[in-house]
Amino acid sequence: MIEYLVFAAAFGLLLLGLHRKVIARVQLRPGPPVWQEILHALKFSFKSTWVPKTASATLYVGVVLIGIGIWSAALFVVLAGESILILFAIYMLHKVVEHGFGLSSGSPYGKFGGVRSVISAASEIPLFVTIAAIYLFTGSLLLRDIVAYQGVHGPLLLIVPPVAIAMYLVILSKMPYGPFSIVESKELVSGYKTEHFGVWRAGISVIDGTKTFVLLYAFVAIFIGAVPFWAALIIMTLILVSLSFVCAVTPMLSPFDSVTIQGLVTGLMLVYVGYLWWVMP
Amino acid sequence: MKRTTVTYGLAASALAIAAAWAALAAALIPLFAAETVIVIAFPVLVLFLALRWRAPGGEEDIPFIGY
Repeated sequence: MIEYLVFAAAFGLLLLGLHRKVIARVQLRPGPPVWQEILHALKFSFKSTWVPKTASATLYVGVVLIGIGIWSAALFVVLAGESILILFAIYMLHKVVEHGFGLSSGSPYGKFGGVRSVISAASEIPLFVTIAAIYLFTGSLLLRDIVAYQGVHGPLLLIVPPVAIAMYLVILSKMPYGPFSIVESKELVSGYKTEHFGVWRAGISVIDGTKTFVLLYAFVAIFIGAVPFWAALIIMTLILVSLSFVCAVTPMLSPFDSVTIQGLVTGLMLVYVGYLWWVMP
Repeated sequence: MKRTTVTYGLAASALAIAAAWAALAAALIPLFAAETVIVIAFPVLVLFLALRWRAPGGEEDIPFIGY
């Protein structure tokens, strides 16, 4: 099982490296090598590391452990085909972790990143109203039941495309250098990650890699259904490239605009789910 | 953190993962129990592995806390 975790973290980091590469090529820059994020994780692992004087040591280190732990659990949830409610609960816990990262160091940059994490949670998390639409069709929130439903009726991507778009937006919100990346935008240096360096930053790399893998794999399972593992990896890569294109051509929004747009999409989703509930027998 | 402490932490997390894997393979514990052990031990393994690998030196500092 640990091999799954190592693979997920490494493949997720590779995807994040590809993300940077695609963004750079779209913007007519050479960009870093695709494996740059893996090299980053290794590089940070052997740098000198300590806890800043202004930090709350327990929280400062604890959030790194919790971050890796929750996304490891998320991977097992997805692989076992368990409830997507657990998966989205973990997503919400990640918001708490981001907030903890920001507040633990004592740096104002980190604090602003943490505060923005809470602001963006207010708009990202309601997007999970899409769960209701999935339930209306499949009658279950267990991932294995959702996959089985698609085996009979075809991919949910074709049955409820607006719901897939909403989930796509949730993943886009978590991508670095994207329009909704307000928690780590450049005016805050690295946002909530600013004061986590060395070994702690290597831990964040593992979190980011696993998180990227889990979210993309969950998207494939929820909206496309049962496909061979190698095909899932290819589809995940294609989805990531599409996300990279969006990130490359879209400016980073201000926190207010980011929340407004996500809030509007949430409103549209509520209307759509309400409509489905009204018309479905 | 002392190097001895890091070594003990690393060994403990590695042993916990190995034990969970072996117990699952021998059907002594259910899958969720093995996964729970790994979810707890894997983050410790990652951080302690890096802490053991890190370069020596450096001391506590005060980050930028505003003008």
